[in-house]
Amino acid sequence: MFVMHKDNTIIRMFRVSKRYGKMEALSDLTLEIRNNEFVFITGPSGAGKSTMIKLLYMGEIASEGAIIIDGVYMERITRKQIPHLRRKFGVIFQDFKLIPTKTVFQNVALVLEVLGVKPKEIQPRVMEALERVGIDDRAGELPPVLSGGEKQRVAVARAIVGEPKIILADEPTGSLDPDSASHIFQLLQEAHATGTTVVVATHDQHMINTGHGRVIRLVKGHLNPDDEARRIERGMDP
Amino acid sequence: MSMLAAKRALTDIVNNKFLNIVSILTISLSVFILSAFILFFINATDFLDGWRKGVRIIAYMADGVSEEQRQVMVDAIQTSDAAEDIKFVSKEEAYKELKQNIGEQSSLLDGLDKNPLPDSLEITLKDGVRSQEDIEKLANRISGLPNVDDVEYAQKWLHRFNGVYNLFKVTGGVLASIFFIATLLIIANTIRMIMFSRREEIEIIRIVGADENFVKYPLYIEAVLQGFLGGVIGIVTLFLAFVLTVPGLSMEGAFSFFEMRFIPVKFSLAIVLCSMMIGWIGCYFSIRKFLKL
Repeated sequence: MFVMHKDNTIIRMFRVSKRYGKMEALSDLTLEIRNNEFVFITGPSGAGKSTMIKLLYMGEIASEGAIIIDGVYMERITRKQIPHLRRKFGVIFQDFKLIPTKTVFQNVALVLEVLGVKPKEIQPRVMEALERVGIDDRAGELPPVLSGGEKQRVAVARAIVGEPKIILADEPTGSLDPDSASHIFQLLQEAHATGTTVVVATHDQHMINTGHGRVIRLVKGHLNPDDEARRIERGMDP
Repeated sequence: MSMLAAKRALTDIVNNKFLNIVSILTISLSVFILSAFILFFINATDFLDGWRKGVRIIAYMADGVSEEQRQVMVDAIQTSDAAEDIKFVSKEEAYKELKQNIGEQSSLLDGLDKNPLPDSLEITLKDGVRSQEDIEKLANRISGLPNVDDVEYAQKWLHRFNGVYNLFKVTGGVLASIFFIATLLIIANTIRMIMFSRREEIEIIRIVGADENFVKYPLYIEAVLQGFLGGVIGIVTLFLAFVLTVPGLSMEGAFSFFEMRFIPVKFSLAIVLCSMMIGWIGCYFSIRKFLKL
C-alpha cells in the first residue's frame, strides 16, 4: 500500500471529479480535512454530497484526481487492500443499511468480526457501544421492529464500535423526526469528542447551525466559490 | 478462520430460515425427480437383463448317442468358456415335461406309438455372454459338433429384443442427461436467487471492511450445506416412497426372475455429492457477480 508522509491532514482530495456517463457529479474538487475535525458537507440535492462520501469509502472510484486517506493514496491501492482502507471508517447512511435478518447485537458485532477481534471481547465491546447510543435494551431485536431513530442509533453504534479514525455520515438525519435527529447529532458530537474525525453530508440546516463544525458547500458538483477550499488551493489554512 | 466462517454460516442459516428452507426443498425436489428417473432406469435395465438371461441354447442330439459320446459333447461345449451350465434332458424327461405343459390336451400324445422327442442338452450362458453375436457364435460351434442334429435358440426374439434394449439404453441415457442438466440449472439458479436476495447484505458487509474471504466462505458453506441437505432429503424421500410402494408390486409368473432394488448406496452418495458440488458452483458464479458491485 502506498503511504504518503503523514501530517495532521487525514483526508486530502485533489482535483477530484466523478462522472456517471455524461453527467458530472463532482467536478475538480480540492479540499483537505484535518484529523479530529468535524465537517459538514452541505448543498442542495444533486450537489454531489453523497458521491463525495462514496468516493471516500471507495464505494465509487473517482474518474479523475487524487484522494489520500490517512496517508494512503487510494489510486494506488489494490483491490485486495480496499477492505483494509474501509476499516478506517465507520459509515452511517440515511437508509441505515442494517441487515434485517441479523439482530441489533449481530449487526454491530459484524464490524468486530471483520476486524478479527477475539470472540470473547466482542460481547462487552458491542454492549458498550449499544449503551453509548442508548439502545442496549434492544440488543436481541431485529431491525424491522425498530423505529427509524432506533435504527439510526444502531447504525451509529456499528460505526463507532470499531473505534475508526473517521466517521462518514450520509444524510444521517434525513429520515428522522427532529428529536431523533437531534439525538443522532449529539452522538456524532460525542464520537468527535473522543478524537474521531467526523464528516457529515447533510442539508439539515438546523444541525449545521447548532454544530461547531467546518462547513463545505457543494453546488452542482463544485465547491462553493466562497468556500474555504479555495483558500487551501492558495496554500492558506482551512 | 474456517471455524468462524462455519459458525457465521450456521448463524446465517438460522437468520435466513425461510430462504434456506425454500432453497433446500427446491433442491430436494429436483434431486427426487432425477433420482426417481435413475431408479426407474436401473430397474428397467435389470428387468431387461434378467429377461435376456433367460436365453438358453438347446442342442438336440441324434438318436442312439452313448453316454461317452454325450460326455465328449459336454466337454467340447465347456471349452468354449461361454457356457455356465449344461443340463442333459433325456427324451423321457422331455416327453414328461411336454405332457405337463400341454395339460388337458396331453391325451393327444397318447396316440403316438413312440416318443418322438430327442435327447437334448440345455446350455445356460455365462453373465458376460449376452450379445446376439456371442450367442450365435456358440450356437454355430455346437451345431458343428458330431451327433448334434439341431441347435435352437430364440434368434428372432433375441434380435428384436436387442433392438428394443439398445433403444431403451440410448433414450434412457439422453433423458438422464436432460434431467441432470435440468437439476443442475435448478439448483444453481436457486442458489443464485438466494445470493441475489442477499446482495444488500453482502454490500453492507463489504462496506464495513470485510475482505472477499470473509464474505465468501460462509456463503460457500451455506450453499454446499444446502446442496447436501437437499440431496439427502431428496434421496431419503425417494427411499421411503420405494420402501412403502415396492412390496405391493410383487412380480409373479413370467417375471418372477426380477426383483426391484433401490439405487445402490455408492450411486446415492454420488448424487448427494453432485448436489453439493452444484451448490458450490452456483455460489461461485453468483458471488463473482455480486463481488463486482
